[in-house]
Amino acid sequence: MDRQKVLLFGAAAAVRLLLFTAFPSLPHLLAGRVEVSTPVTSFKRLQEGLFLYTHNVSPYDGGVYHQAPLLLPLFSLLPNPSYYPFATNVLFTVVDLLGAQALMQIADSGQSVKTRLFESSRKELRWSSLAMAAGFLFNPFTIATCIARSTSALTNLFILAAMAKASQGASITFVFAIAIASYLSMHPVLLFPPLLLLCYHVRASKSASAPSLLSFAIGHAGALASTCGGLLYVSALLTGSWEFMRATYGVRLLLPDLTPNVGLWWYFFTEMFDSFREFFLGVFWLHVASYMPGLTIRLRKQPLFVAVTLTGVFAVFTPYPSIADAALYLSLVPLFRHLFPLMRYTFLASATILYASFLGPAFYYLWIYAGSGNANFFYAITLVWSLGLSVIVGDSLYAALRDELDVERPELKGKEVKRI
Amino acid sequence: MALIATLLALRKDARILKLPPYLSAICIIVGVAWLLVLPLDEYSRNTYVSENALLPGQVHTYFTGSEHNIFRAYRHEVAGLADRSVEERTQRLSDIFRSSNLKVATQRYSYQAAGRNISNQNVYAVLQGPRADATEAIVLIGAWTNMDGQINHSGVALVLTLARYFKRWSLWSKDVIFLVSGDSTSGPQAWVDAYHDSHNPDTIESLSIKSGALQGAVAVDYPAGPWGHRYDKLHIVYDGVNGQLPNLDLFNTAVNIANGQMGISCTLQRMWKHGDSYQERLQTMLRGMISQGLGHASGPHSSFMPYHVDAITLQTVGDGWHDEMGLGRTVESLFRSLNNLLEHLHQSFFFYLLLHSKRFVSIGTYLPSAMLIAANFSITAIALWVQSGRSTSPIPNPASTSPPSTKANEKPETTMTAVKTPDGSTTLIPTPLLSITERALFLPLSFILFTHFLGLLPLYIFNNTPEPYLRLSFETTLALTTALPLLIARALSLFHRPTHQETTLIQCFSLLLLGMFLAALATLNFSLSFLIGILTTPLSFVRASRNRLVALPALGVLLALNPVVVIRAATVYWGKDVVEILVQAAEGWHVWGLWTQVVVWLVWWPSWFAGAVVVGSGLFA
Repeated sequence: MDRQKVLLFGAAAAVRLLLFTAFPSLPHLLAGRVEVSTPVTSFKRLQEGLFLYTHNVSPYDGGVYHQAPLLLPLFSLLPNPSYYPFATNVLFTVVDLLGAQALMQIADSGQSVKTRLFESSRKELRWSSLAMAAGFLFNPFTIATCIARSTSALTNLFILAAMAKASQGASITFVFAIAIASYLSMHPVLLFPPLLLLCYHVRASKSASAPSLLSFAIGHAGALASTCGGLLYVSALLTGSWEFMRATYGVRLLLPDLTPNVGLWWYFFTEMFDSFREFFLGVFWLHVASYMPGLTIRLRKQPLFVAVTLTGVFAVFTPYPSIADAALYLSLVPLFRHLFPLMRYTFLASATILYASFLGPAFYYLWIYAGSGNANFFYAITLVWSLGLSVIVGDSLYAALRDELDVERPELKGKEVKRI
Repeated sequence: MALIATLLALRKDARILKLPPYLSAICIIVGVAWLLVLPLDEYSRNTYVSENALLPGQVHTYFTGSEHNIFRAYRHEVAGLADRSVEERTQRLSDIFRSSNLKVATQRYSYQAAGRNISNQNVYAVLQGPRADATEAIVLIGAWTNMDGQINHSGVALVLTLARYFKRWSLWSKDVIFLVSGDSTSGPQAWVDAYHDSHNPDTIESLSIKSGALQGAVAVDYPAGPWGHRYDKLHIVYDGVNGQLPNLDLFNTAVNIANGQMGISCTLQRMWKHGDSYQERLQTMLRGMISQGLGHASGPHSSFMPYHVDAITLQTVGDGWHDEMGLGRTVESLFRSLNNLLEHLHQSFFFYLLLHSKRFVSIGTYLPSAMLIAANFSITAIALWVQSGRSTSPIPNPASTSPPSTKANEKPETTMTAVKTPDGSTTLIPTPLLSITERALFLPLSFILFTHFLGLLPLYIFNNTPEPYLRLSFETTLALTTALPLLIARALSLFHRPTHQETTLIQCFSLLLLGMFLAALATLNFSLSFLIGILTTPLSFVRASRNRLVALPALGVLLALNPVVVIRAATVYWGKDVVEILVQAAEGWHVWGLWTQVVVWLVWWPSWFAGAVVVGSGLFA
């Protein structure tokens, strides 16, 4: 077992380092692709920020860098990636491997099939944690993100770590991980309530007397707030002002940079009249956020499923999604292997995603390079991509509800359900 | 609701699995028929110029009279340079340009492809437009040698004469660049790469003088010797590398000017006689599709297309009464039209099939045919996926009126499962109907990955083998690719693999990928997608079968449609040498950025290989 794991991790690291060294122009190429690098995760922009930072200029002055300030001291420790990329490459490879390690911990905890309040009737249908890690490490989207050295790889790592720690009931590390993920990308903070619930269930099932949910929630929320506050305070000390808030979270919230990406926002806001902008920004953000309370309440017995589904929602509906978000969601979905027999559109959805991944670059090429297409070509294909992902989200939700129904009402097992 | 319930119930019906092969066949037949009706009047349109700034043929041309004497003098100058060294030629051409008061520069370049060294020099001169601010430029090209390797005597002389003549006009609102490239393919490529700073400075010299963004390019191919030759028609060549086409407005403007203003009739795709009948239109279209599908450079203009510079080549053909001044006036009028442009050519079509110099089909009309062919593979893939999830044990039909076959008689009853219905009664349902079959995905997925990576091997070999070994490597590949599927199938059968489900899944994934690639490709290079789609259609219908009467003919068809065999057959049919084609392909890879071989080796060949292994595994099972 352990040897297999070493072999798998070794192979994954070897593939990444081989791609880095055999094709030295590949990182640069991928870092320039809009599907992989967004304005808020691009490695090229990070390098720009790093240059300004090491020359004692505020990294946010140029209006190019929109990432968290604490990334700067971390990356300034490494040798300059333009000349000595090896250390940076190793860092991103290690980030992926740690992510896979966290994913294995989530799978081993078994929280996806059996929680304190709920036990799936199909719980013996599972893939080994090793297979899950392989699915994550050899997912072409994950590899592309790693090679492009997009900082969303870091966000993904901390989201996975938060899930892993929550499913082990390790409160402190869980709060710490989710705080860093939120600090880096803001939207992961929405994962806090379902993961808090998960952590609570695990703790309650471990100890004889369950702690009070309210005090548990207040304590953890306080811890999260103070950790995030601490991170922000250190950032402010580092950059000398609170200006970074506007350049990082302000950009994520208000969408000033309309560079195309695989999401749905950029086209919509390009077309919009300025007077409606604030209103629709509010509506769009409200829409993203509204999934969290609804799902957490309805599926409170399966909080891990809620968190995973929310990562899928993020991959579709956040302002700057990339294939890294899709990679995270698609690697987490196999945790719910027991729901696959209940899902109805797996082939359709995966074929749609595959089609979109081939047609997307083709249409982008027609628009930008050949000049024979236009923005609508690429936007149409991002719609198809989002459709494919949202079909998986919707279909897995259906399957989870059906699975719950099968436990609650065993006599309805195998019957066709009707929508009313 | 009732409809959805009925449809959902239908999913379980065994009969629905019989449908996809027919659906696939219909897709293919409709796709091909679609293409065949395109030349009819009802489905094609007359060409028209949509960019109204062009105003083709609205200006009086003054390239006559004494210019003719200058042209004849330059033609003798050029003829005198024919057997001189490249250095001397470059020097003399620069002097001539300089004597017309133009800024002149030269560019050396060298490329390595298939063990050959291609090195030569470009000469170019920039005419700064009196009304221009050096932000836009149009290019007139006269390659020193044309595509057939003949020296372009009159073409180069015409470029020199027009350079001198254009310099005297004060009406240019764009810069005009006159380029005499060393040859017809790599020379313009080196120049246009360097113009956009995307060249390799070690082997290709950077350009010392430049102008603004290129708006259009026209190449002249007129290889008549020092004593001239009167031609019959203008042959307009418009295919770019990788099947990219120039904006239709440029083509239309050229036809409009040559035909309407100068009275020179135009032709295309080597259709020297075109009576505008259905058959001739179809032939023109098919020739255009093959040329586009191969994606090779068809003239000096081809290299400009990847940089979004619309370009065409005007080639003189036949024996007639039109002289060089007619061609010169055509070019003059064409440049006056381009000079009028207010923005980059964008109005008209970028995707079209031409049937005649004045008739075309646009993408909306022809794209469905390639998409239908691609869809046929996706349909089969979906059907195979569903089939792979079905239980393999037969389900008897108790309501069947036909007597059960002897085989069923030998076997006892199928196992039945008792199911309680809500009203308390019990029904017996065949167990296979209730069980869910798990799909073993590991072998099929790794097999598909393996075949696609295997395609990298021939891709690398053919792009990097020196010319003397190309024939040997081609024949070896021919023999190996024919034998390999059977060997692999035999080797797999030793391990009792693949199972029936695995072969189904291998075929499913392979066809799914093929359908996807072809659909994406159809938007980039319609013709290539269509041609490969047609050549791979049998893959939708062959299955692993133990019946030799079925399997052997299927295998025969597949072996005949091996991409390597198809390439071989095509070279025999068109009477070309296979080595020549391979050398051109290697040159395309290293010089022009040709992608056709990637599609052949990483899309077409792997899907063929997977199909052949599937059929072969049936034989050895």
